[in-house]
Amino acid sequence: MPMRWLAAFFTVAMAAPLMAVTVVTPARTTEVFSRADLIDLLEILRLTGAEVEFAPAAGSYTARRAGHEVQFTPGGSLAVVDGRLQPLPGPIRSLEGHTVGNLAVASALLAPLGWAVHGDVGSGLILTPAGEAAPITLAVTREGGATVVVASGPPALPRARPAPGGLALHYQSPVRLATPLALEGGLSGASVDGSILTLQLVPGWEVAASYPLDDPPRFVVRLASAFPTGAAEVQRSGPLVVIDPGHGGEDQGAQGAGGVLEKTVTLAVARLTAERLRAAGIEVRLTREGDETVALRDRTALANRLRADAFVSIHANASPARGARGAETYYMSADASDPQAAAAAERENAPAETTTLGLILWDLAHVANLNSSARLAREIQDRLNAVHGIATRGVKQAPFVVLTGATMPAALVEIGFLSHPEEGQLVSQPDTQRRIADALAAGILAFLRNAPPPAPAEQP
Amino acid sequence: MRWLRPLVAAVLLLVGLAAAAVLVTRSRSRSTAPVEVPGTPEPTPVPAYLTLFFPGPDLALHRERRLVAESPPTTQRCAAMVLEELLAGSQEGWASPFTWPASVGAVFVTSAGNVFADISPPPAGHVQGTASEVGLVYSAVNSVVASCPGVARVQLLFAGRQVESFGHLDLGRPLAARPDLVAP
Ligand SMILES: [Zn+2]
Repeated sequence: MPMRWLAAFFTVAMAAPLMAVTVVTPARTTEVFSRADLIDLLEILRLTGAEVEFAPAAGSYTARRAGHEVQFTPGGSLAVVDGRLQPLPGPIRSLEGHTVGNLAVASALLAPLGWAVHGDVGSGLILTPAGEAAPITLAVTREGGATVVVASGPPALPRARPAPGGLALHYQSPVRLATPLALEGGLSGASVDGSILTLQLVPGWEVAASYPLDDPPRFVVRLASAFPTGAAEVQRSGPLVVIDPGHGGEDQGAQGAGGVLEKTVTLAVARLTAERLRAAGIEVRLTREGDETVALRDRTALANRLRADAFVSIHANASPARGARGAETYYMSADASDPQAAAAAERENAPAETTTLGLILWDLAHVANLNSSARLAREIQDRLNAVHGIATRGVKQAPFVVLTGATMPAALVEIGFLSHPEEGQLVSQPDTQRRIADALAAGILAFLRNAPPPAPAEQP
Repeated sequence: MRWLRPLVAAVLLLVGLAAAAVLVTRSRSRSTAPVEVPGTPEPTPVPAYLTLFFPGPDLALHRERRLVAESPPTTQRCAAMVLEELLAGSQEGWASPFTWPASVGAVFVTSAGNVFADISPPPAGHVQGTASEVGLVYSAVNSVVASCPGVARVQLLFAGRQVESFGHLDLGRPLAARPDLVAP
């Protein structure tokens, strides 16, 4: 910090009136409106040279500087930073004609624009260009056959994007690695370029799942070998199906009449379905064997890692409309599979240079399986329709977390409504569960027997 | 020339006061929020119709036209108004998709036509089953897209946070409207 700034800072801070805070920047020293711990955010942003304008159509302010953009609304505690939504550490308010927030909020708005604020509202503030990169700690552990990388440190979470040979985490401001990297399992290296941390993978390893965690903000990347059980996996003689009993553990799912829980019903039906498939010579894995909590993305990650031929998630439905009943089978949402939708989502969320790659991966991972997912759903639903006592609601599409992450034909079955007084009783009875399992297994077997048709996806 | 001194002093004082007034006005106009604060009513309110969707007993979404006293002046206000009307419930007897006391918080509109809308969160475990989630999410998405020109997608936030899922649907991204869910 240059001495002349400090001198200017202390000289002016001593003389500052109570209703304003002295702010020193490399270019000037000025007074900014403040009340208690709140400061005028628009003035602070303008002092960095950012353009701040109010967009009546959006009802919000936009601050732009050095190619970055922060959008925020008085009355809210969220900001859109470079097109991506981000919670703020406190609310933005209108006070005496000023748009104000506390220092943490100011800091969060300044960081993406490349500036940092030091000091406190009571005694004075110094605004500096943020030269210092935020340190990132990478914790690398082995979990069974997987390698788990947890990136923590920067206050804002990154956006994960595929990169050649690995995965790139795009942070909002410059970062640096805090500690030497412990190379483990599938991680062969990590490098930082500005605000981008790139994780390099050992050849033959892939990203099985990546997701953010809060309090404190962390980003988890789960790496798995493309061939987790080595030769046995490659030499698999027949098809492999992953059955996902919905919910489990802390997540009970829906609760039906008489207290029956969705997680119990789905596990029973999944076990019975697996039994029938195994009897037909199909290899089957369940995403949970008992009453365990399993994250949604880990369920799909297992199927992706095992390179399953089909993934079927089993659920029981519920609705505030008490008369609602019937079974239905879903496959991936038209929304997620619509290339225009994908393009729009990419434009909104990704830096421009990764858009093409992002779209290609989107296509490969999701759209390629749309036709066969639709057929899997149809084969299952046709047979569920025949199960006595359960009305049909048909084949549908929706953006389920477990379906959008799957890289193989995937469907989600709602075997009936637990919230319906009669149907809820019915689907919790072992006899009905056996018949539902028969229908599910028959549908999956019919799907595996037939080659994927060349016809386009059916619309529900 | 001594007699000129008070005159010069008076002129200087006036010039100084004028300059100070200009400076004060400029600094005030820079630090004061613009008059177009979100939600500021139009001088002469024009009534308008919003298109709302509510889930029926058949679980399809049913269209309800809603007359509001004031045509929303901005896209942001439009999205907020649609969600407020949706939360207030149906006037034609349809079920409410939001089955807990909820209110609308901050609403953002991005240049790509994505709306991010903050809603007070449901109690833990309150939203049960795929059908409830579909009714909740797409009543909001379809209503905002149908009522607010320029909106392409909507993402609901709860208590100011992005929610990955209530157990089924992917709520971690803006969703496009689903006309196929609307009753014929
Ligand atoms: Zn479920």
